[in-house]
Amino acid sequence: MTTFRILPVIENRRLGPYTLLRIKDVGIHKYAGCGQFVMVGLSFLRDPFLLRPLSFLSVDNDSFSLLIKIKGRGTEMLSMVKPGEYLKVLGPLGRTILPGEKGILIAGGIGIAPLFYQSQWMRGGVLLYGAKDKRELVLVKEMEDRGLVVKTITEEKGGTVCDLVMENIALLKGQRVFICGPVAMIKSLREIIRDYTRETFVYLERRMGCGIGGCKSCAIKTGYGYKFVCQDGPVFPLEEVEIG
Amino acid sequence: MADLSVSFTGIELKNPVMLASGVWDLPYTELIDFEKLGGIVYKSISLSSREGNPPPRLTEIPCGVINSIGLANKGIENFNKEILPQLKDLGTEVFVSIFGESIEEFAELTSRITDVSGIEVNISCPNVKEGGLLFGADPDIAYNVTKAVCSNTDLPVIVKLTPEAVDIVKVALSVKEAGASAITASNTFQGLVIDIETHKPIFRRITGGVSGPAIRPLSLYKAYQITRAVDIPVIGSGGITDWMDALEYFFVGVSAIEVGSAIFNNPLAPIEIIDNINRYMDENEYKNILEMKGEVNEERC
Repeated sequence: MTTFRILPVIENRRLGPYTLLRIKDVGIHKYAGCGQFVMVGLSFLRDPFLLRPLSFLSVDNDSFSLLIKIKGRGTEMLSMVKPGEYLKVLGPLGRTILPGEKGILIAGGIGIAPLFYQSQWMRGGVLLYGAKDKRELVLVKEMEDRGLVVKTITEEKGGTVCDLVMENIALLKGQRVFICGPVAMIKSLREIIRDYTRETFVYLERRMGCGIGGCKSCAIKTGYGYKFVCQDGPVFPLEEVEIG
Repeated sequence: MADLSVSFTGIELKNPVMLASGVWDLPYTELIDFEKLGGIVYKSISLSSREGNPPPRLTEIPCGVINSIGLANKGIENFNKEILPQLKDLGTEVFVSIFGESIEEFAELTSRITDVSGIEVNISCPNVKEGGLLFGADPDIAYNVTKAVCSNTDLPVIVKLTPEAVDIVKVALSVKEAGASAITASNTFQGLVIDIETHKPIFRRITGGVSGPAIRPLSLYKAYQITRAVDIPVIGSGGITDWMDALEYFFVGVSAIEVGSAIFNNPLAPIEIIDNINRYMDENEYKNILEMKGEVNEERC
């Protein structure tokens, strides 16, 4: 059930180069599903005007967490919200997906956030995770504790996620793969993994107006005409969508 | 308790707050109690389906948004079969926005619309057949479109004007002359945003429509000019995000208001506006909307 509410922030801490916000929401775990996201904004402010779509990082019985990377004024202001202050929250939004018990997750940078959330449902599997530097590699231990085999790479030492995927390409054979990361990474991966995986899904991001399927802003070209990231996604079969 | 109902030229609303065309669709019924709304204007429908503009379609500006959606819709047949029956169940007055690429298309489209409380004519779109000028930019063309719509329906016809008209008052007078029941003032302003990485406009169609609080004083002034010049009812639209914004419009003499992109910032804005107008009227002992509207003191200057 999608609702719009004003909810209190109960924690704001640094996690590598990112900000982790924890928001109090009793009972959220009953209706937030794998793959979903929320739209959040500072309460009582009309500027920034739009709420920001952010995937769940985690969902507990009485709260949920979001991971924020500062990209502009909106995310900068969100990253500065203190415990005790309130946010506008619209959600959960988007389609839920079947995470599968195992599988391969491929994350680039902040793309770790929805995949970390997805791993709540998984029992094992593999995470291939690339970032700019060591500081950007977050939540590795937590993923290992959940039973995933984690292989990492950084651009300052070693190369990109694509290099890491090529080194481990045999692991992908016949698997379900989920990707979240920058557009350039998704485009390169598409070519690399095409002939290996059983199914590949990609988490997409778009500027959204409403987040709920009303404004038709977050259009993405697919083999079946335009679809909408907020309503039909944010997770799509990779072969279905045009990237970039 | 104040009486919020309004009634004008064949249109009867339980309160003067309508949901504007374009920003919402059926998923909003999960979030907003539609029964509380005075009316809803369903997003612009054309004769046949249109997939809309290539992305990106929307970006943020200070205190607002700019969009280039491209009037994506599934056409009149789909509207009548799939959408209208669902809208009719929502317990509010249903209006539908229409647009065409030629005057003939407006006429044919109109003839296929029945069973709604009124038609809102979107003349802020290009007259493709006659060189691409906006229908609403020119008083004569606006007259012809309105005439074509009015002669094909018995339903109330509301014409939504574009602030891009050279002289919006002349266009307002023309559409009234052609038979419009009411005027919505007004649609988005055209604007431009450049991507400083590519040095190019962010939209493929170059410009987009600007909406949100950023345009409120501009739109309010258009509504002010029109209510003074034209004696048919005006529905105020442009940048209304709360009850105080709404009051500004009532004080320049509009009969109802439309809330649009405000729902991006706060989906409950239309409901909060209704509740707060009610409270304001009680506190200030206004018995009805008619008593409250058009209070701007002209002697100030």
